[in-house]
Amino acid sequence: MKFPWHRDRKQEELQQELQSHLHMATSDRIERGESAERAQQAARREFGNAALVEQVTRDQWGWRWLNEFLQDLRYGVRLLRKNPAFSVVAILTLALGIGANTAIFSVVNSVLLKPLAIEDPARVMFLREQWRDLFPSVSIANFADVQRQSTSFANLSASNNASFNLATQQAPERVDGELATADYFATFGVQPIIGRVFTSEEDKPGHEQVVIISERLWRARLRADSAIVGRPLRINGMRYTVVGVMPKTFDPLLNNSDLWIPEAFTTRQLAERDNHYLNVMGRLKAGVSLAQAQTELDVIALRLQKEYPIDDEGRGLSIAPLSTVLLGDQRLALWTMLAAVGFVLLIACANIANLQLVRSRNRQKEIAVRAAIGASPQRILRQLLTENVVLGVASGLVGVLLAFWSVSLIATKGPAEVPRLSESHIDATALAFACGVTLFASLLFGLAPALRSASIQLTQAFKESAGTSSGSRDLVRSVLVVAEVALALILMAGAGLLVRSALLVSHLDPGFNTSNLVVGRVGLPEVGYHDPIVAGHTFERIITAAADLPGVQSAAAVSRAPLAGGGSSNGIIAEGKPFDPASIVNAQLQIISPTYISTAQIPLQAGRDFLAQDTRDTTLVTIVNETLARAMWPGQNPIGKRFACCESGPKGRMDPVWHEVVGVVADVRAWGLDQQIQPQFYLPMAQMPPSGWDWIGRTMDVVVRTQGGATPVNALRAIVASIAPGVPIYRVSTMQQKISGTLERSHFDTFLLAIFAGTALLLSSVGIYGVLSYTVAQRTRDIGIRMALGASQPQVMRDVLKDGVRLTSLGLVFGLAGALAGTRVLSSLLYGVRPSDAITFFTVSIILTAVAFMASYLPARRAMRVDPIVALRYE
Amino acid sequence: MAPRYQNRIELLQGTLDLLILQTLQWGPQHGYGISQHIRANSGEILQVDTGSLYPALHRLERQKWISADWKLSENKQRVRVYRLTATGKRQLLSERSRWEQLSDAIAGVLSPAKREGQA
Repeated sequence: MKFPWHRDRKQEELQQELQSHLHMATSDRIERGESAERAQQAARREFGNAALVEQVTRDQWGWRWLNEFLQDLRYGVRLLRKNPAFSVVAILTLALGIGANTAIFSVVNSVLLKPLAIEDPARVMFLREQWRDLFPSVSIANFADVQRQSTSFANLSASNNASFNLATQQAPERVDGELATADYFATFGVQPIIGRVFTSEEDKPGHEQVVIISERLWRARLRADSAIVGRPLRINGMRYTVVGVMPKTFDPLLNNSDLWIPEAFTTRQLAERDNHYLNVMGRLKAGVSLAQAQTELDVIALRLQKEYPIDDEGRGLSIAPLSTVLLGDQRLALWTMLAAVGFVLLIACANIANLQLVRSRNRQKEIAVRAAIGASPQRILRQLLTENVVLGVASGLVGVLLAFWSVSLIATKGPAEVPRLSESHIDATALAFACGVTLFASLLFGLAPALRSASIQLTQAFKESAGTSSGSRDLVRSVLVVAEVALALILMAGAGLLVRSALLVSHLDPGFNTSNLVVGRVGLPEVGYHDPIVAGHTFERIITAAADLPGVQSAAAVSRAPLAGGGSSNGIIAEGKPFDPASIVNAQLQIISPTYISTAQIPLQAGRDFLAQDTRDTTLVTIVNETLARAMWPGQNPIGKRFACCESGPKGRMDPVWHEVVGVVADVRAWGLDQQIQPQFYLPMAQMPPSGWDWIGRTMDVVVRTQGGATPVNALRAIVASIAPGVPIYRVSTMQQKISGTLERSHFDTFLLAIFAGTALLLSSVGIYGVLSYTVAQRTRDIGIRMALGASQPQVMRDVLKDGVRLTSLGLVFGLAGALAGTRVLSSLLYGVRPSDAITFFTVSIILTAVAFMASYLPARRAMRVDPIVALRYE
Repeated sequence: MAPRYQNRIELLQGTLDLLILQTLQWGPQHGYGISQHIRANSGEILQVDTGSLYPALHRLERQKWISADWKLSENKQRVRVYRLTATGKRQLLSERSRWEQLSDAIAGVLSPAKREGQA
């Protein structure tokens, strides 16, 4: 096989070969006695058309297609260079579309499509309980039963998220990690880079003083010490021996775990069915399907329901692929973004197609000449498509540059709560996607104009017709503009809904005074703080000292400050209801110091606040929020009512412990401003059930109301360090920062969609402008004649504007229909706005109409200024 | 020129390949030589058009049935000389037998009596 770069030499050789043929034929004739001149003539005649012979021989080389392609390519590049204004506009427009698509695709790819960094991720399942319409985590005893009874899993393991105080050479540090069963690592099939994983022996009480750390922690805190295995670490005040280091890609539950410690369930824990907090992961055995495993779990769940009615009544077991559970929430927003940038690209293509149609009209003569000297329609079509590919590839290059830049921006500035977002980058997959998009776009915007040009009727093309405009051409162009307007409107409606939702959310009352409120989290280790009295006393000392700081009004402690994420759900049963699982109402529990309600300034609607006198020695009391009061005692005064929760009396599980409602407070939007309010109740710290400190991991938020000065971060650190040495205070920030943190995600989505919608609006108005300008230029003679016959300037202008309005309103109609159908997918991203919100639809239609009108006005004014004399003389 | 032109017979598709391969069986030859050889050996009836000859030569070369080299001719001119390759020789045999089958078949059709007699 010869390659094209030999082409020039080979061509030369062919010419020489043919030349030698001619030469020999001539000398033969001379030898036979013909005169030199005659011989030459005759030989030439016999030889035939040398150029043609050369051509047909060359065709045999098999490079004909390539030759023509290179020729077209060179011509395409020359055309782009000759027409810089067109080229820059077209390349930028397309680059915007291609770049946005590539960038969003990279994000989708890295967040959703890329398999989790574990062995054969499709076989790893996440197991949850199912209770009413909730999917709670699994209780330890239920996990142990499933592990014993099921046969579907090669490995079944459990872990629970926890955070730990890690002693380092500098200040103590709070590190996220997991308690995990021995099978945990085998379930994911990932090996440590150094050392080993837990043995099942180490997953037993008394042997669990071992830790596996992440590569990240190893590098950042332990100087990548290669002899780390066997070294001790102080975690939560206890000594643990490092046995292994997991690779930095290992984060199977996407919660940034930096260390793993064996669960080592005790016999008492293994009987616990009341607390549901375990993550349970199982790897399906080879040949076992999800459905088969689910069927087996259904059987086990029925058995558990019969055996343990108090805890497992109505409780099912449900599995789903790990990736679905971890990434499912991200799906909607990301696919919406990809659809949005797809629309932007389509609009960009429609614009380029329109520009190309204009150019193809100007090039009619050139193409007619090509056809006249023998180019076939396919050949011309191929040439025009190649030109488009040149344009497309140039835009693709610029687009990929844009994508590089925007992906790195998204990865660093994007919302932290989206898993794997920070790993987004332009990789081979994204580049392949960009190439695909580029080619697709080139064909899309190039095909219509190219087909039109290639099918030109020669006679028509040579009969220049400057006066009248052809109807069908206008139709194609009009359809393109209508489609652009419609797509732009759909995008604007979507963005408009998100913006309106964000505005509504920003005006929501969080239910407490968020200004000058500082929050920081403190977790006491079990060592030294096992005694509930010591733990409670420590927090009391911390808040007393914090309240005494200069510039601080008051201080309090709460198990989970609002908007800090997380919380614990408890089942409660109102007095008077039958004492069985059907009467359970699920409510969120907050354990608070008596100063909390006044410090957070949550309005007290009825009854009283907690007092220092509310201790275990007096009546157990509770404060409920309005939503809980309504749910439990509709239409009644909740003060003095009682409900059972949280602990059982001396006579066992069925012996209720009653809590009396002494106050009702306003609802607090504890899980984010845009989240549903849930029933909530507060218990005083001093009346906490003895095991309560274990539930909350001895970890509470310290809340400080300042007088508005600087955030006293260092003062708080010093207080905690002096009262509880070795214990850090972490995630210190103002309440306002926490609020913007919870809204970061939705603001980011809104911001991106608004940018895309703005781009779409701009591009489609350019489209309208282009079509109308072209129509006016084309009809200059018509307009001139009409004006000569007495049409007034405003009449002419009105006609052009009417064209613009016609296109826009058609686009609006289709766009509104599309938006009504399309924005429904956004409903779960919206708060307080229906997807068919009339105000939003009306507003975006008005904006679009106004912009379209401006885009039509410029060409209309040009039409008005047509001088009939000049117009008629033209030609 | 005119009468000879009338005598010319259009070559059947594929026949030219056979003629070229057959000609090269007698030894390496350049394009002009091949056309002269075919003309001479067909009693001036088969005249190969350069517009057919050279595409055929280059096609056969691509199929590796013949190979080409630049040589100096007797009158010290650089000429491109084609020679039969090993695969070309095999191809020639199979083309020849196919041709013989074809011409037998055509002969049979043109003189049916003889065929019946044979049977």
